[in-house]
Amino acid sequence: MEILTILIPLSVALMAIAVRVFLWAVNTNQFEQLEKHGFDIFEDESGDTS
Amino acid sequence: MTACTIHISDMHCSACAAKVGKVLAGIASVKSSHINLVRRQVVVEHQDPELPIELLFALEEAGFSPTFRGEEDHDGNQRQLLKRLGIAGLACMQVMMAAVALYAGTPDTMTMGVQHLLHYTSLVFAIPVVCYSATPFFNSALQTLRSGSLNMDVPIALAIGIAFSISLHATVTGSGEVYYDSVAMFTFLLLGARYINTRLQRRFGQTHELLASLPQFALRIENSVSNRVAAQDLCPGDLIWVDEGAVVPIDGVIERAEWGTRYLVDEATLTGESEWVEKRNQDTVFAGTLNAGPGFAVRAARRFQQSRISDIAKLAEQADVQQAQLTQLTDRIAAIFVPTILLLAAATFSIWQFINPSKAMETALAVLVVSCPCALSLATPAALTAAMTRLRQLGVVLTNGAVLEQIAQVSRVYLDKTGTLTTHVPSIQRTQVLTSKYDHKACLALAVQLQRHASHPYAKAFQRLTLDQEDQTALSDILVVTGQGVQGLLPDGTLLRIGSAVFANALPQPSSPDDQGIYLAAGDDLIARFEVSNTIRSDAEAAIEMLKNQGIEPVILSGDSPQRCADIAGALNIDFHAGCSPEAKLKAIHEDQKRGAKVLMLGDGINDIPVLAGADISATVLEASELVKSKADILLLSTRLSPVAALFRIAGATRTITHQNLIWAAGYNLLAIPFAAAGLMPPWMAALGMAASSILVMTNSCRLLAQRPSNLTESTAAVN
Repeated sequence: MEILTILIPLSVALMAIAVRVFLWAVNTNQFEQLEKHGFDIFEDESGDTS
Repeated sequence: MTACTIHISDMHCSACAAKVGKVLAGIASVKSSHINLVRRQVVVEHQDPELPIELLFALEEAGFSPTFRGEEDHDGNQRQLLKRLGIAGLACMQVMMAAVALYAGTPDTMTMGVQHLLHYTSLVFAIPVVCYSATPFFNSALQTLRSGSLNMDVPIALAIGIAFSISLHATVTGSGEVYYDSVAMFTFLLLGARYINTRLQRRFGQTHELLASLPQFALRIENSVSNRVAAQDLCPGDLIWVDEGAVVPIDGVIERAEWGTRYLVDEATLTGESEWVEKRNQDTVFAGTLNAGPGFAVRAARRFQQSRISDIAKLAEQADVQQAQLTQLTDRIAAIFVPTILLLAAATFSIWQFINPSKAMETALAVLVVSCPCALSLATPAALTAAMTRLRQLGVVLTNGAVLEQIAQVSRVYLDKTGTLTTHVPSIQRTQVLTSKYDHKACLALAVQLQRHASHPYAKAFQRLTLDQEDQTALSDILVVTGQGVQGLLPDGTLLRIGSAVFANALPQPSSPDDQGIYLAAGDDLIARFEVSNTIRSDAEAAIEMLKNQGIEPVILSGDSPQRCADIAGALNIDFHAGCSPEAKLKAIHEDQKRGAKVLMLGDGINDIPVLAGADISATVLEASELVKSKADILLLSTRLSPVAALFRIAGATRTITHQNLIWAAGYNLLAIPFAAAGLMPPWMAALGMAASSILVMTNSCRLLAQRPSNLTESTAAVN
């Protein structure tokens, strides 16, 4: 069971990384546009209109 | 009198709303206030220019945090909630990992040291859950307790708080049970439910932006002098000046225009049409459209509140009201549920004091956890979200999730013909050769060559055909007679005409006045008759068949001629009402509704708006004008009709699944409470049961995501 003394701190460290990545994703609006692209077809194409 | 909007992000429940109302009623210069719980805002009408600031102070004193800017706050809240949810989820996984080991371990297999290590590990992961993720529950519970009332968050906060304290005590002293897994799981699932709810609520609040484009002021012309007046105060009959580049403030008619001047109006806000529309004297213009040409005077025809664009806003408000009613219902349930839960837990605790004091806390906690209406509050939103997601994948957008419940009750579907059952692309349905001089191919070749110059919509049916080089005949002196047809000269000098019966044959010829055919004449002889109509959508027949199989009666409701309707109704084998004015269409629907039938109307034209509004549920297609789209409950994105049939299947399935969810969730709560109170269920089992019940509700709802469009769709897709 001594392996736990390594594995548990490791899991804490991994969790810390996962939290950092998740917070980055939320703060940079990665979850904001989940539905927006489905609605893009309603909008005029920006390229060919004046 | 001016109005201002104040956003109160921490106004969660009807108790809070009542308190806000009380605060506002206490301020003398407030004339009226309108509280909107869903959008968490209050509109205040007042006379004092200083008032808004004073209001903010008064509301702040009452314990709220009011702001003038709502939308950004909403995004901020949403993001904050997502962070809390994500961290709770990640921590929950780690805590459960330790918890599973603890469940599985027996004194033989696990030493006390390892057990302690796992307890402390769980504690490390549970701290962020309780101190960060669960704070909304604690804040909300404290806030309602301070105002002397109760809400759903009170038992939740109590359960989390007590369970964590007991576990902490057990961890530090090294004796007793730990409930970190219950705490983490509980918080995560409840935050999940809350997150889904706020996402749904945000959808309801997004429809008002159109009105923001309307001008606040208008230039009213009185005795040749223009005055700036508030657009809201305009009356029918007022003459208003609309400058170049200005937005028309009101529905009205162009007046006093110089004869022959052409004005240009951009109606994209209403119709989605990016091309500018030409207007002349006495033409109607609509509020919200943009004057792209020279300035003109408009005689107001309707009040500002009755303009087309404000009809859109009314629809959006209706959705708000519905949602508000739903929220109030949940609050009312909570008002009964919460005191009952607390009393039950307290009663369990005191009774167990007599039976076995050492188990009293544990049992009370189990009751508190097991009776949490978590699955109950997820039951409906989860099913609706899943159904809406699946429908969007199939090309059906619902503007309002609540309509799904109604769709399941629909027994009759009215379909507009043009643009709905048929496409806007015409095609030649039949060609009759009326002479022996030309054969079928030659007639068609001549017709196509003439029609190439025409701009009539039906000419497109001919223009789509391509001709071989050898079929071409050199035609000269081609002349387009607007609204009638096209004529040209054959190489031998014969006059060739194509168009209506009257135009094609100058000589009077017996033909019924409602003959819709297109005639081709050479000289004085009619040589061919073409029947042109809009093409039936490729999968219309299959879709109609599927509707019939589901016990729904499709009926054509059209303003078009009986002849054309009969053709299409015959091809599809359904009933039809032809030649209907918008009033007649509405009447047909009302008659059905009087008989108790629920009716869905699928239409695309502006003239369908009254019917769409009158029907229980309205649906439209993507090509419909913007105004119709804004009116409809359902929008079909694909050019195919079969999603309509899928819509009914999924609506039915949603209803079944919602009912299953509700019965399961309520049944679970009612069954589990006696077990928990009897001490037969330790808290971890209560939390597991509660979590399992929520997960079951979610999984059951996810079955909707796997709904196949239908068996028939695949076969038609193969044909296409």
